[in-house]
Amino acid sequence: MADGNGKNGNPVTTGTPAAPPNGGNGKSKLATLIEESKVVKDKAVEELKALKQPEKTDVFKSILRVKHDETPRSRALGVLSNVFLHLHPAKINRDAVAYNYTWGMGGMTFYVYLTLVFTGTLLMFYYHPSKVVAFRDILYLEHDVPFGKLLRNMHRWGAHLMVIMIELHMFRVYLTGSYKKPREFNWVVGVLLLVLTLLLSFTGYLLPDDQLGFWAVTVGTNMARATPLLGHDGPFGAMLGMTPFNDVRFGLLGGSIVDSNALLRAYIWHCVAIPIIASAFMVVHFWRVRKDGGISGPAPVMLESEIKEPKKV
Amino acid sequence: MDWQQLWTIVSLPDNVPIVLLLFVVPFYTWYGLKQAFANDRLIDQLEADPAMAKTHHRKTQPWKPGWAKEVHVWPFLLRIEFLAAIIVTVILMVWSITLNAPLEEPANPTLTMNPSKAPWYFLGLQEMLVYFDPWIAGVVMPSLIIVGLMVIPYIDANPLGNGYYTYKQRKFAIWTFIFGFIVLWVSMIVIGTLIRGPGWMWFWPGMTWDHNRLIFEVNQDLPDIVLTNWLGIKSPLLKSLFGATLIGLYSVGAWIGIHKLIVSTPLSRKIYARMSLLQYITMQIFMITMLALPVKIALRLLFRIKYVLVTPWFNV
Amino acid sequence: MSNPTAEKPAGAPAPPPKPSKPGIGQALYTILTKPDDADESKIILRRRRFVMASVLGFLTVNLVMFLRFFLPRTLFEPKTSFRIGYPSDFGFGVDTKFQNQYRIWVVRNTEGIFVISAICTHLGCTPDWKESENKFKCPCHGSGYDPEGVNFEGPAPRPMDRAHVELDPEGQILVDLSRVYRWPKGERSQFGDPGAIIRV
Repeated sequence: MADGNGKNGNPVTTGTPAAPPNGGNGKSKLATLIEESKVVKDKAVEELKALKQPEKTDVFKSILRVKHDETPRSRALGVLSNVFLHLHPAKINRDAVAYNYTWGMGGMTFYVYLTLVFTGTLLMFYYHPSKVVAFRDILYLEHDVPFGKLLRNMHRWGAHLMVIMIELHMFRVYLTGSYKKPREFNWVVGVLLLVLTLLLSFTGYLLPDDQLGFWAVTVGTNMARATPLLGHDGPFGAMLGMTPFNDVRFGLLGGSIVDSNALLRAYIWHCVAIPIIASAFMVVHFWRVRKDGGISGPAPVMLESEIKEPKKV
Repeated sequence: MDWQQLWTIVSLPDNVPIVLLLFVVPFYTWYGLKQAFANDRLIDQLEADPAMAKTHHRKTQPWKPGWAKEVHVWPFLLRIEFLAAIIVTVILMVWSITLNAPLEEPANPTLTMNPSKAPWYFLGLQEMLVYFDPWIAGVVMPSLIIVGLMVIPYIDANPLGNGYYTYKQRKFAIWTFIFGFIVLWVSMIVIGTLIRGPGWMWFWPGMTWDHNRLIFEVNQDLPDIVLTNWLGIKSPLLKSLFGATLIGLYSVGAWIGIHKLIVSTPLSRKIYARMSLLQYITMQIFMITMLALPVKIALRLLFRIKYVLVTPWFNV
Repeated sequence: MSNPTAEKPAGAPAPPPKPSKPGIGQALYTILTKPDDADESKIILRRRRFVMASVLGFLTVNLVMFLRFFLPRTLFEPKTSFRIGYPSDFGFGVDTKFQNQYRIWVVRNTEGIFVISAICTHLGCTPDWKESENKFKCPCHGSGYDPEGVNFEGPAPRPMDRAHVELDPEGQILVDLSRVYRWPKGERSQFGDPGAIIRV
């Protein structure tokens, strides 16, 4: 500090922030420092102020690409530009929003399915699909895993709830005639989803390897052995060379008895194969809902006198 | 009246969903039909007054000119979906905290539980095992149910009721579905859950589930009763022919009955005229099969008849 | 929330204002909520905040539950405590009798018997006892230990740990691998502690 570099050659004393008239080389080091820190401080204050409006920051804009204010445009874009939400249209029939028309069963079924995938995945962390330890693993989940009991219960009751909701959903779709033109195919896809859900329930039933699951699967697969043509006990089965070791029941169980192969197969069907297939069909099902014109109603009532003659092919 | 037994059955965690079904299904049936009747009243009004039919906005929900016909999904639909998600989560969590999922003893191939029941959604089919052979109850029926459900949109030639609840415009369709869903499916599940006890014996609600109850049930085949006992005929061929003839007679009778139903009102005749031959025949086949179930059940429960048709390859 | 205006048929008189005393419910309602327009938006804002806070709180609790779920309370792992016979069963030097079964070496010197846990202190491989070279040599990265398990070459940072040993009432050596004695570099050796060696 004692060696001033200023033009006047005088040494600078501490505490004098005054800038010499020609700046640059003429300034004292301290003065420059303090000035620069002021500039930085102002910049910091400015940037902090910008944080008060997070929607304007670049980080925010990179994630949420459209504005989220309360204009109709933003509301529409909020739905359409969001990968999870763009299943929905931007607007829907004002009366379809009321609960009494749709009962909400389709959407709730999907939500319960997601819950089941989540709880099921977590349960997989503690379950070995081996006859030696499967049963023990369920006990382990119930007693030695924190919240294991809750998860298992949620999975089981969620499964029952999902089947009930699907049945009510089918009932509602039927009562509102929402399987009629142009939605016929979507109904068919829905029936397939019903079958897949029941198969998911059935395969999951065996996994605890308890008496309940074991005998349910035994009875179920014994019905498979009675399949006509393909089962060794069914009509015409023996004629085609079906034995307990090569019929359709054998293919399902991976053996002639409900044993460790059956358990592993049930595990894979339940956790991997059927969820993938069901997800594919769900995609088609939701896609068709949109493409067939969205929620079917409530539609304006049609009178008998307004029935048009069908086009002659 | 064994209240203890009744409570044991009803409070079993695996039976609780069925007990819920007993309330939920009638509620939603009423809920849907209530709107159907409201719509029907509107339809009556519109049919009585053609001028009104031209100008009225055709729904029971209120609307005035100037009101938007559509609303934004965000927020109106999304907030309802959000609420539904919350409610479902709460219900599921409370249910899971209160009731424990069942876990019986480890699988033991040498010991079967009594009663040994399928999961509740298959109990309807398990009940059918009482009246039909395994391959029919376990393979043919599920296939028919699935195919039958899939075929519905394609054999329904009635363009009315597309997107709104109605009863009077779709009586046949609604009665058929209620018969199939509530009588043949839900009530069979209820029976399988609450009525069928040890040995799959019938126990009315309130009866104690006595494992040692003896029932003397001698079931006979119908051809045996009619041909052998009454007429002294023992030939298996004739018995098979007899059974086949009976089934044929039933089918014809049912066909005629259903046909009469289809052409009973002016509206149904109009729709019948629109049906193609293929649609008509498919519908008849499924209806006849569906109606055969209560007939067979009645034959079994009331007359102790086991099989109607006996052949070397399969029995019905 | 503004009251929906009911459509009155023409000619019907407007209902007279009710002069009666407000009931308890009405009073409480008036006290706790002021349904003016100005405060209405505040009420809505409050409700919105309440819902958001409940949902976030619920999700936070769920997140904590989710994390806790991954830490089970008991484990099925091999027993860490076992017997290996009597002191008289062991001669001087390194005994590899239990290496395959329990992953330990039993070493006897003039001071007594101790048990080395056969885990290389570098990255956890199992070293080999080289009888001919009189040292332990780890095949993974070449760590070398003397016949008492003390490191002298290679990347190993410290000697191999020793298991807790004691004599049970019958006189058998009881080994407890859940308690180990270490000699971290630059610190005091625990190898002389009671329990690290049986002095026989």
